[in-house]
Amino acid sequence: MSVTAVLHSEWIKIRSVRASFGSLVAVLAATLAITVLAFATVGRAEADDGGDPVLRAFYAINFAQIAAVAFGATAVSSEYASGALRVSLAAVPYRDLFYAAKAAILGGSALAVGLVTSFATFFTGQAFLGRYAIGLGEPGALRACAGAGIYLALMALFAAGLTFLLRSAVAVLSLLIPFILIVSFVVGDVAGGIAAYLPDRAGQQVLHQDPVGDVGPWTGLAVTALWAAAALLAGWQAVRRRDA
Amino acid sequence: MTSIDLKDLTKEYGGTRAVDRLTLSVEPGRVTGFLGPNGAGKSATMRLVLGLDRATAGTATVGGRPYATLREPLRTVGALLDAQAAHGSRTARDHLRFLAVSNRIPARRVDEVLRDTGLAPAARRRVRTFSLGMRQRLGIAAALLGDPAVLLLDEPVNGLDPEGIVWIRELLRRLAREGRTVLVSSHLMNETATFADHLVVLGRGRLLADLPMRDFLDRHSPARVRVRSGDPARLRAALRAAGHTIADGDDGRLIVHGADAGLVGALAAREGVTVLELADERASLEQAYLALTAEETEYSAAVSAAPTGLQGA
Repeated sequence: MSVTAVLHSEWIKIRSVRASFGSLVAVLAATLAITVLAFATVGRAEADDGGDPVLRAFYAINFAQIAAVAFGATAVSSEYASGALRVSLAAVPYRDLFYAAKAAILGGSALAVGLVTSFATFFTGQAFLGRYAIGLGEPGALRACAGAGIYLALMALFAAGLTFLLRSAVAVLSLLIPFILIVSFVVGDVAGGIAAYLPDRAGQQVLHQDPVGDVGPWTGLAVTALWAAAALLAGWQAVRRRDA
Repeated sequence: MTSIDLKDLTKEYGGTRAVDRLTLSVEPGRVTGFLGPNGAGKSATMRLVLGLDRATAGTATVGGRPYATLREPLRTVGALLDAQAAHGSRTARDHLRFLAVSNRIPARRVDEVLRDTGLAPAARRRVRTFSLGMRQRLGIAAALLGDPAVLLLDEPVNGLDPEGIVWIRELLRRLAREGRTVLVSSHLMNETATFADHLVVLGRGRLLADLPMRDFLDRHSPARVRVRSGDPARLRAALRAAGHTIADGDDGRLIVHGADAGLVGALAAREGVTVLELADERASLEQAYLALTAEETEYSAAVSAAPTGLQGA
């Protein structure tokens, strides 16, 4: 079968389901909205208090990652609504190709939107800061912009792999969102060492100007990539072995 | 020609045998009705043919090849498994578009099948707003998309309105006339009788019958004749003398078992009895099917004193 044709088909699938395409758009839209809201109101006051100016610029990525996770989960779960997977696999019976094409399109579109989001967030936020504003020349700023985009794509893929395994966006979202918002946050402050290797905390190291701890900015992204790879591998085995 | 060939096909789900050593060929150029009660293994068999479920044992091939090895399979096999499978959030057109694109089927086919199935006016509506009948039409449109030589349709008549039922009847017959292989499952016997040329009957995953519909009816429904005459008493006596079993129908008609109209007509003529009405009464497919399954039940009851009551998925 033609790989290009299957990739194109997967893109139409993402594009034509409101939940998945909406979440993809929300990665950018919600992040910009939060950025404008936060920086226009308390931006300068926060900057005045000092702290990491790069990390502060990416405040809204906390919300972007929720949208990215929702995108990964819903783009896959649309295959598990009432036998849709059977229609897909009847059209593309090579399951490895089907899986790889879906992961590639999903990861690719999340990466593209993620990068646009991270740069747009950076510049939008700084526009409100006046004399506190930093540019891409600021140490760590460019790295954080690229890293945030990659991070969002990896979180989407992590959620996608888990959704293939659990076959339900609701299950994955009710697992990941509390995890990102609460568990990782609380455990991270308490447990130190191990918590730095959780998928979200490791990946977010790249947003710091001077990351502290054992995990560096790129190492952190690599750790998140390993989590995503493990989830995708588990999902792949599930798709290969299960009856559709 | 492209036939569907099953050889010792077997599928177990958690120890329950849904398909049991099924061996048969579905031939091109005719509509094969796929019958059996719910849980007989019809849908499971279709999933096995499409490589969606993996067989526990045996093989299923289309044109001699396993489905999963077909290049661009929608161009060879079109299937409707479940009318609900189209995602509610997509438009009918997008549903067909992603299928067409994946198998490099020209985009104009999308519009053609939408038109052929009467869905053109609803092409840009979301599937969630569709009635069951419209979803069936969309599923059939998807099956026709690649102009395939083989069609597998699982309960396509479900939810169609009377107009839709007439439409699909003619569609199935036309597809078979064009030399395609058409396998249509149904649990509606009398509906199947209107379009099928050949029957495959499953019961508890096993093959109960695989023969032309006419033979099926002949074999499982004994012949009988309905006759109304000017002198019922004399005709009755003559028929009885000839060794026929007679029952009373309504309005003074006689029902003669084990005879056909030619025989009864000749007998009446010899006796000089006026015949007012004379017709072969063909049992319906439903009656023939029930007769077959009744035999099957007796058979399994006789073979196994403790019926297992296995029901497939």
